[in-house]
Amino acid sequence: MKTECSDLDNLLLEGDPFSMETATRHAGSCPECAEKLASWDDISVAAKSLRTEWNSDLLWPRIETAIHLEEKDAGHPRFWQIAATVLLTISVGATTWYAVRDGSRQAAFDKEIIRVSALESVERAEQAHLYAIAELEKVAEPKLEDAQGPLMISYREKLMVLDDAIAECQTNIDNNRQNAHLRKQLLTMYSEKQRTLRDVVREGTNASHQ
Amino acid sequence: MLEAAFLQVVPSVREPAGMTDEQRFEEIYNRFGQRMKSVAFNHLGTVAEAEDAVQETFLKIHRSAGTWNGEASFSTWLFRVLINTCYDILRKRKRRPAETPIEVIGDTRSAASIDDAKRMMLRRLLEQLPEQRRTVFTLFEIEGMSHAEIAQILDISEGNSKWILFATKKELQQQWKTAR
Repeated sequence: MKTECSDLDNLLLEGDPFSMETATRHAGSCPECAEKLASWDDISVAAKSLRTEWNSDLLWPRIETAIHLEEKDAGHPRFWQIAATVLLTISVGATTWYAVRDGSRQAAFDKEIIRVSALESVERAEQAHLYAIAELEKVAEPKLEDAQGPLMISYREKLMVLDDAIAECQTNIDNNRQNAHLRKQLLTMYSEKQRTLRDVVREGTNASHQ
Repeated sequence: MLEAAFLQVVPSVREPAGMTDEQRFEEIYNRFGQRMKSVAFNHLGTVAEAEDAVQETFLKIHRSAGTWNGEASFSTWLFRVLINTCYDILRKRKRRPAETPIEVIGDTRSAASIDDAKRMMLRRLLEQLPEQRRTVFTLFEIEGMSHAEIAQILDISEGNSKWILFATKKELQQQWKTAR
């Protein structure tokens, strides 16, 4: 098989004796490849000369001593190693204690934040009810004052009972603002009062139309 | 571990009765010391650092006596540790760029007769190569190891070792021409 110039790189990549022999044969008839091959070999020859040997009689004794020292150190930990271990244990302990303490403080703080924020939401809902009730009362009051029919009279009595219950609940809440049960009762009564006032307004409007 | 290593390194010799680890280490040093120094020198460029690398390699081998599982041959493992130690020294040196290597050794025995200028030029070129290329070139061209051995030491395939050597020589050929 005839070797082409383009085969040279593949032969050099393989680098085994047969490939190198083939490359040399081709280089015999191709001056360009001969030059390439010569510099290729030049590098290899120069590389061989870099193999370096020198006498170092003290190296093995040095290695031996280093191994002995390490063996000794492995058996007896140095003072600084013990000190570092103690120091590390103390630091880790202190950090853990601080983290736990800080964590419980944080948890208490978080709980307080949640409680305050829930209370604010409830109070906002109460204010919204009070505003709606005040608006409805403006319309309902004249109709209640002129109440003639039994239905209107019963609404007026119902509203009086609700007002008494709301007032009592409010007094209790003033003594214990965070009592969720009382707050819930108050909101229910406000809703009921709003519904009753709406009924009064609707009933009054129907009566005037008739 | 050293007993097994010794038997692998010196298979034809029956281990003398009562041989200590220290004696086994010395035997391993006698077998591989010169070659290890040469490999380290061709990576690091100074005798002092090459000897430090060899010493550190023996210490590492001593420390990790239990980790050699016999899968790779002992000499492969030995050279792998040595080359990694050289890389560590080179990386440390990069962080201290003021220190310059390459030393012409007075009392050396070169394998072939060639003028110092060429040798120095090749050394300078090698110094600029990336770690792996430099190692493959050193182990194959300078130390005469086979691609199979290099592949095992560097944990690469034989084909990869061949390709790295080819690419490295191509690059060196180019710089060789320019430098001359």
